[in-house]
Amino acid sequence: MTSEQATYRFFKVFVPAMLVYIGATAVIVHLTDNGDLHAYTLYALIPVPIGAIFVAFWAQWRFASELDEFLRQIQIKGTFVGIACVMIIASGWGQLERLADVPTLPVFWLLPIFWGVQGLATTFISRREGVF
Amino acid sequence: MKNHLKALRAEQGWSQATLGDQLDVSRQTINAIEAGRYDPSLPLAFKIARLFGKSIEDIFEDET
Repeated sequence: MTSEQATYRFFKVFVPAMLVYIGATAVIVHLTDNGDLHAYTLYALIPVPIGAIFVAFWAQWRFASELDEFLRQIQIKGTFVGIACVMIIASGWGQLERLADVPTLPVFWLLPIFWGVQGLATTFISRREGVF
Repeated sequence: MKNHLKALRAEQGWSQATLGDQLDVSRQTINAIEAGRYDPSLPLAFKIARLFGKSIEDIFEDET
């Protein structure tokens, strides 16, 4: 399989999964804000965005598996930077929340931060390695 | 690691994409190996050596 085919297969799953995640999250937040959401309904709906996240990570795993060794190495490095960034923010801000009176950072934001940093890091590393 | 991949490919008149297709890797990977930015795995090094009918040592030079 070529890297172009692997990229196409990745985005074909990743983009719909993220749209489901954003859409389901927006609906749940809207219903919760309006007080229309019963706790049991929330528990019934929450697997939808969580399932979308699972699918997105599965797509990421399959993408890395289908790339050749050089491109896979770049993907893994980008993912490592994303994980490191999330861990540093979560741990650093968590300490500040515990020890100082800083506002609470909703952990909800860790996933978008991860995808954003991972995407930027992968792009940066790819450029540095002469991929494009 | 230094290598002679670019010269060997040029002898055959192949583009990076053509060589990549024969080795089942991307053009970018061939480019990175030729530029010395990436050292291939042992299985890929064996594939390259087999394709050109040479030994790994004939193509790759250990600089250490």
